[in-house]
Amino acid sequence: MKRGGEYKKDPLFLFGMGFLAILLVLAIFGPSIRSAIVKPPNQPNFYSVYDPVAGPHLEPGGKYILGTDEQGRDVLSRLAAGARVSLTVGLIVEVIALTVGVIVGVLGVFAPKWISMILMRFTDGMFAFPDILLAVLIIGTMPPAKEGGLIMKLLPVIVALSVTSWPSVARLVKGQVATLKDREFVIGAKASGASTFYLVTRHILPQLTGILLAVSMIDIAGTILAESTLSFLGIGVQPPEASWGSMINSARQDLGSHPVALVWPCLILSLTVISLNFVGDGLRAAFDPKAK
Amino acid sequence: MRLVKAILLRLLFGVFSLLFISFVTFVAGEFSPGDPATILAGEKASLETVQQIRHNIGLDRPWPERYARYVGHAVQGDFGVSYYSTHEPVRDILKRTTPMTMKLASQAIVLAAAIGIFFGTIAAVYQRKIADKAILTITTLGVTTPNFVLAPLLVYIFCSRLDVLPLTWATTLVAPEFYYFILPVTILAARPAALITRLTRASMIDTLDQEFIRTATAKGVPRGRLLFRHALRNAILPVITTIGTSFGFLLTGSFVLERYFLMPGLGSTVIEAIQQIDMPVVQAGVLVTGAMFIFLNLIVDILLPILDPRIRESQI
Repeated sequence: MKRGGEYKKDPLFLFGMGFLAILLVLAIFGPSIRSAIVKPPNQPNFYSVYDPVAGPHLEPGGKYILGTDEQGRDVLSRLAAGARVSLTVGLIVEVIALTVGVIVGVLGVFAPKWISMILMRFTDGMFAFPDILLAVLIIGTMPPAKEGGLIMKLLPVIVALSVTSWPSVARLVKGQVATLKDREFVIGAKASGASTFYLVTRHILPQLTGILLAVSMIDIAGTILAESTLSFLGIGVQPPEASWGSMINSARQDLGSHPVALVWPCLILSLTVISLNFVGDGLRAAFDPKAK
Repeated sequence: MRLVKAILLRLLFGVFSLLFISFVTFVAGEFSPGDPATILAGEKASLETVQQIRHNIGLDRPWPERYARYVGHAVQGDFGVSYYSTHEPVRDILKRTTPMTMKLASQAIVLAAAIGIFFGTIAAVYQRKIADKAILTITTLGVTTPNFVLAPLLVYIFCSRLDVLPLTWATTLVAPEFYYFILPVTILAARPAALITRLTRASMIDTLDQEFIRTATAKGVPRGRLLFRHALRNAILPVITTIGTSFGFLLTGSFVLERYFLMPGLGSTVIEAIQQIDMPVVQAGVLVTGAMFIFLNLIVDILLPILDPRIRESQI
């Protein structure tokens, strides 16, 4: 890891990290920021909060920093709520995808031949399949929950996107493990009597943390995009819950009269995806000597 | 002989993929909310009627038998009837909606391939010059901008501001059909065009670096002929694979655009079906889209070794 520190000077990487930090603050503290400014009239649910006093489509500025949407809801707090949804879905799905992907990828190398054959064929099959299509099918079988916490409401989306996102991780891990397996330090450890489990967990997987971290950033961007796509189509996150995708969908209906309403969710979504890609590219350049 | 064997193996894998996706859609149907017999019988039906229907459509049989029946019917193009009040046969719904989606996706892929191969070649020829950098920057935007962000942007420019293109599909079209396809096809093509540009560029740079190009240059082959007859013919092969996979993603990408432009295609029908928990339509839609996807990749995989002797040699 000779160039380990180099990515810290990469302006694109820094831009990405900066934007993601802002996004995280918005997602976590969004509710308190808003109530400090607007003082919601006893609305316990931040996600559906709307100020009956505020009119629809208020101009940006004043109490409502980015204006209000077609129902008179504060756009900034809707964006914050959408950030919370996107980051929650992105992180949970990525954790599941990494877990399943690493297990399948390692088994693809170390399991008996017939098991690894089946696993890798299955992975290839899943990998080749358009993810939205499978997600659509899974969501079709799981009507969204109307009650419960945020996670419960997001469950169909999380399940659908988890099922579609592990194969790419499995493929990557399999390829990496297959080459690492024959490196001298692993053969050496094996010769001195280390078990396969010990080899994998202590020698091989630690080598992969960097590249997996980099790929995770890019995968999370993909997941956030997919979640927005599903919500845009009206089968993802259900109203009144806010998602950037559904915000884009409702704003486009007033495109002719209020084009500004569309700018914010599009901007924040694009910036998030681009930032995650910048950070992922920066990390990959630092950890993967082959990448340019 | 090896080529025949490879093609047969590939066909076998295609059949397995089809069985896999049919099984997945079947399982999805099993787990979907709502009992088909009750829905088909209608709200006021007696218990006996429901039982009778359940027996008639074979719901009282064990699942392997039902799966076999499901596949058997699907092969004949019978996907049952819609749960929606009209009880329209799903086959008719597919017949009505699939051509629109195919039209969108195939026009988009042709556009994307044309743009991608052209600009990819230019970027490779002017490598590291301004043209190359500009093209690369635009492709980065093209890859990261989702089509439902690009759509309102273009709609705002061309429909609201300039007012030169029709906004959404309507039952009675006021302009020739072609005009209604311009925006959705362009937006749909954006991402694959960016991907194909990048790939063509990388592949072209590799090819231009090889010795036979140097030989041809030394021999005095004119530049245009060198690029398009010698280099591009070699560089295009990996691009063809991408065109194949991109097409599948265009089919799902058209879900978004059909919905945006209110076009009555397969995508918008499936999405509506999900919202109405109309499982037979969802199953059939996914099955048909998946089958088209598998079929296309099959064609590409069979085409490649025929086009490229190097791949033919390396086939086991």
